Amino acid sequence: MNRLAVGVLFALSLSAHRLDEYLQATLIGVTPLGIEVAIQLTPGVAVLPAVTAVIDRDRDGRISAQEEHDYAARVTREVELRVDGEPAALSLMETTFPTLQAMREGLGTIRLKLRTTRTGHALRFENRHLPQVSAYLVNCLAAPDDGLAVKRQERDEGQRSIAFEYSFDAGVTPVPLAPWIARGPFWPAALGMLMVARMAVLIYRSKIARGA
Amino acid sequence: MKKICFLAAALCCGLALAQSPSNVTSSIVASANGFLSSLDEGQRSKALFDFNDAAQRVKWSNLPTTMVPRAGLKMGDLSEAQRKAAIGLVAATLSKRGYEKVLAIMEGDEALKTAGGARGATMFGRDLFYISILGKPSVKDPWMLQFGGHHLALNITIVGREGILTPSLTAAQPAKYTVDGRTVRPLGAENDKAFALINALDEGQRKQAILNYKVADLVLGPGQDGKTIQPEGIKASAMNASQQAMLLDLVGEWSGIIHEQAASARMAEIKVNLAATWFAWSGPTTNGMPAYYRIQGPTVVVEYAPQPLGGDPTNHIHTIYRDPTNDYGKKSAGH
Repeated sequence: MNRLAVGVLFALSLSAHRLDEYLQATLIGVTPLGIEVAIQLTPGVAVLPAVTAVIDRDRDGRISAQEEHDYAARVTREVELRVDGEPAALSLMETTFPTLQAMREGLGTIRLKLRTTRTGHALRFENRHLPQVSAYLVNCLAAPDDGLAVKRQERDEGQRSIAFEYSFDAGVTPVPLAPWIARGPFWPAALGMLMVARMAVLIYRSKIARGA
Repeated sequence: MKKICFLAAALCCGLALAQSPSNVTSSIVASANGFLSSLDEGQRSKALFDFNDAAQRVKWSNLPTTMVPRAGLKMGDLSEAQRKAAIGLVAATLSKRGYEKVLAIMEGDEALKTAGGARGATMFGRDLFYISILGKPSVKDPWMLQFGGHHLALNITIVGREGILTPSLTAAQPAKYTVDGRTVRPLGAENDKAFALINALDEGQRKQAILNYKVADLVLGPGQDGKTIQPEGIKASAMNASQQAMLLDLVGEWSGIIHEQAASARMAEIKVNLAATWFAWSGPTTNGMPAYYRIQGPTVVVEYAPQPLGGDPTNHIHTIYRDPTNDYGKKSAGH
């Protein structure tokens, strides 16, 4: 190891994980039956006091089931989904909370799953939860099996919001051709056979005509 | 004369056999069995998992092993001979440049350990990498080698002649260090080739490729298995042949980590889907500045994300390499 002369050009921090931001990563799943919004919230250790102040309302150093519920409800209120320009109420379907200790180590991720049955053609999502300390990611999931086609996605610079138009037109899957038809040589061969048949008919007719 | 012809034919046959895909798998299996036979029974039971152990399969991370514990055998707990056999197995599955990249990432972690004093010693360094095998090493049946630790996760599924490297994570902090006066940049090519590509695009193409928002982290990093996002940026079909070649060369920094024969098959697959492959960029286009990029096609996802931790984001990089159709060899192994 004494061979290793560490010429690190910039000051190193030993932080292996996010420190001073609350990473809020959202994945939006659009289906013909509704829209699912999955949010993963990971507080960096430097912003944990600000985040726990919001979650641990009674300041007892523990996160109770009621506090988990209240916090998830707050996040649900502070995100907005609009479908075709109209607000679409999101129901909280699932929550997962890490231990406070895991969050103190910068490893805890809170996971929320929200859902609406509203469907349409244009979607806008905005996250207004704790903007002072947060970094955001927001993306729409691909769903080729549903034939989901998404037009250009528009976001603000910080990815707090996303808007896009969508349809399920791409789902019209043509009935696959039988393999023996789909194979390349089929059509040239068929065309050749037709030409041969046509020539045979012409020859036959000319013979008949000559015979007559 | 007959003798010479016979010897030439034998040599040709020998070379062909040596380079045949089945022979590569045989060689990897021999290395795996060599490693396993170097272990005592207790160690072997720690290193081996069922091929269908779904929990172990996804037990990888960019984070230090003290924060996200890995299962398997820790390098620091192995004897010198066992460690040599373990690293030999990893090397057998990789190309020369892939193996060098892995060593450079591990040495970078050792540099981080050295720079970190007592705290660094507990979190970082080449002793804190883990190896595990899922399934029984076989030339026919599927099995998997996992090797990784802080800033490295190799998930290599072997299915007969096939070698599948996805999902895998390569990362670096420091992204630049020196050893004996030689500068090492474990992910330097990933950085430089990407900047060369974005600057090879014309103004209209760059407008398509560059996203108008910041990307703070990997979107499809650890824990995001089975997800595919809507692609963005510029489609390779809108690039000229030279730009397309640069894109493929860039992808090759990930697809070329595995041994040459698997890498060659993988690159052929990526080439077939090239027209439907996207390149997206977020950040400045001057090399030396922190910029995020993503390459996404029907069978490939690559993300490169500078991390705003530890001061300079260009000195702390995370990358992910996936195949949405065949992560963990799910298509090839049918699990």
